[in-house]
Amino acid sequence: MHPATPPTASAPAGRTYRTPLPRRRLLRGLLAVAVAAPLIAGAAACGGDDPATDPNAPVKLSVFWWGGEARAKLTEEALALYTKKHPNVTFEKTWQANQGYFDKLATLTAGGNPPDLFQIDDNFLAEYAARNTTLDLTPYQSSGKLDTSKFPKSLWQYGVVDGKLAGLAAGENTQGLVYNKSLLAKHGLPEPTTGMSWEEHIAWAERVARTAKVPGTQDPSADYKAFWVWLRQQGKDMYSGSELGFTAEDVTRWFELWKGARDRGATPTPDVIHEGNVTDISKQLVVTGKAATSWVWVNQMPELKKNTKDELGVVAYPGDPSAQWARASMYWSVFRGSKHRDVAVDVINFLMNDPEAVKLLGTDRGLPSNQDLRRVVSDDTTDPAMKQSIAVEAELAQKFGESPQVPIKGHSKVRSELVKAAENAQYGRANPAEAAAQFVAACKSAIA
Amino acid sequence: MALTTAPDPTRRGPGSVRPRANRRGPGRSRHGDGLAGYVFLSPWLIGLMAVTAIPMLLSLYLSFTNYDILTPWSEVEWVGLANYERMFTADPSWWHSVRVTLTFALVAVPLKLAAALGVALLLNRAWRGVGVFRGLFYLPSLLGGSVALAIVWVNMFNRDGAVNSFLALFGVTGKPWVNDPDWALETLMVLAIWQFGAPMVIFLAGLKQVPTELYEAAAVDGAGRWRQFVNVTLPMLSPVIFFNLVLETINGFQGFTAAFVLSNGTGGPVDSTLMYTLNLYITGFTDLEMGYASAMAWVFLVAVAVITVIFFSTGRFWVHYSDGEDR
Repeated sequence: MHPATPPTASAPAGRTYRTPLPRRRLLRGLLAVAVAAPLIAGAAACGGDDPATDPNAPVKLSVFWWGGEARAKLTEEALALYTKKHPNVTFEKTWQANQGYFDKLATLTAGGNPPDLFQIDDNFLAEYAARNTTLDLTPYQSSGKLDTSKFPKSLWQYGVVDGKLAGLAAGENTQGLVYNKSLLAKHGLPEPTTGMSWEEHIAWAERVARTAKVPGTQDPSADYKAFWVWLRQQGKDMYSGSELGFTAEDVTRWFELWKGARDRGATPTPDVIHEGNVTDISKQLVVTGKAATSWVWVNQMPELKKNTKDELGVVAYPGDPSAQWARASMYWSVFRGSKHRDVAVDVINFLMNDPEAVKLLGTDRGLPSNQDLRRVVSDDTTDPAMKQSIAVEAELAQKFGESPQVPIKGHSKVRSELVKAAENAQYGRANPAEAAAQFVAACKSAIA
Repeated sequence: MALTTAPDPTRRGPGSVRPRANRRGPGRSRHGDGLAGYVFLSPWLIGLMAVTAIPMLLSLYLSFTNYDILTPWSEVEWVGLANYERMFTADPSWWHSVRVTLTFALVAVPLKLAAALGVALLLNRAWRGVGVFRGLFYLPSLLGGSVALAIVWVNMFNRDGAVNSFLALFGVTGKPWVNDPDWALETLMVLAIWQFGAPMVIFLAGLKQVPTELYEAAAVDGAGRWRQFVNVTLPMLSPVIFFNLVLETINGFQGFTAAFVLSNGTGGPVDSTLMYTLNLYITGFTDLEMGYASAMAWVFLVAVAVITVIFFSTGRFWVHYSDGEDR
């Protein structure tokens, strides 16, 4: 190495504390920065309203969502339209796949750098709302800056947490049982229908398995949304206030129902069920040909269709369809500490109520929340899979029951505990009663 | 580290004082050099502070709080030892992840080292093309903890993956390995063992250091290959074995990527691949219990440190340094 002349060669000699001092100062400085950064962020989060600034001042709004490339394209087009109408507002767009999205969102929030506007779903809405991370949209709603007059009431209400409108439904969807039409036609088997009982569904699935040699139905015992619909048909619910809306006996019956189905050969083997439990929408069993039906959301039909050549059909989950509800497929929320919250709210209003923007976005995030525009979009759409999901949803809308409360804090943990307990039963490591007891105990500590 | 390599005119040592250093004369003071050292160190030092030391101290603090990522720091509550108490007394999944990690390390590390040593012995010969083999055996560990490799692994060990197709040739019906709670962890172990390239290269270097005279002397004394291996190779190699053992054990405890990819970040099926670090990640980032996750991280750090200390203290009894006599 070249013996470089140190830049501090002229430092006076004889002072032995000379070197430790800058180090200590450096340490202190770094520590101060590390401690101050979150404090500053915290202070920012407690800041007041937007000052009444020049409406034409340039604004850069950060937007974050999850989804595929198709969604990214549509969203970017819609945001570009907003910029066209409000040239002072530009967007910093970030998007990624669903897996890891909420890890990233949490990290951004912790780092004091959360997006102004972000997509969120009912698994996490209560988590964020309970910690005051989301802006309460109620004042905007009452002042008319956020227009929900064309929304079904139950839909926007599904974004209310503790009396605050924490997120606005970006679209509406509901549970959908998707089946492989081509497979059934090939073997001359009947298609499932809305209103079939659970017993009938399992018997039908067994028949499919016998005839077509493909398991008739994915075992949804690990699927919280199927469990939820079933619970509502039993007069129970997922949550009741801040408590669980069901007991271990209910869960036992649910697990036993599906143990029966597995024993009859109506479902795939546990390892394949597990595959269906953990993979994303593009690899659901109805698409990979490992089962004749999958339990999904109706708005996911186009995405499923993209991954298979077979024709798909969709009906409601078994049992009384009034147990299903107009669910907010996902929400747009504004970060409470955003410097541009008024603009962010206006962008939400634009994405939800501007005819051109809504037309651009289509049904990618579910049926448009604005019912007038929903009609326009469904008349215009050409994608057959999208048409199908609109038709089913429109039919079910007549039968929808009341919305349940938004899932409470701890819900995402409850979901993963359900998978764990159900798989314990599926792999035969626990009987339904044991698995149910394990699940309820885990839930209680998760929501405590 | 870099500081000690800087020429220091005041220290006596064979050949360490180069004429150029002398030419600078006595005017160059000792702490002047020290300061220069710190200046040169600063990129590393700042990195250490900002990326390692400060976050570590903050995480120690967080481990005594109920920090949940979303709540601003100003509202974080001090909970004392509650997180640690919960870990040891009220969290079965924590104990489960400890068991999974210990099982993984206890099986995978010795087998990996044995494989590495075995292949190193085979490759420590003057065969034609031995270099090619060395490269090929080293290749898997170049891919390291890569996500791509884990994805390939999942697909190979699926119900209809390559492994089962191969087994079918012999009329053996395979298992759904990665999707079977009884086999998922074993699949991860095989992946870890397969990546024995790094310790193998170190073993090879160690083997080259063993003086051939020792083998010749042993052969003259009538020792067979096995005796030579046990009484010459192993003792002479013991420092290298020790080094690999410590390193691989720490690595084994930290296994994350493959488990994360294989289970889609859940530790499944049925928690069978819930490695400690994966559990920590889920607790912190999915369940948002960052305070508790910080406590888990500190217990982990202490546990790994204790195990390393145990290795070092037992090392005295079985690690032989050949240059020990003249010290």
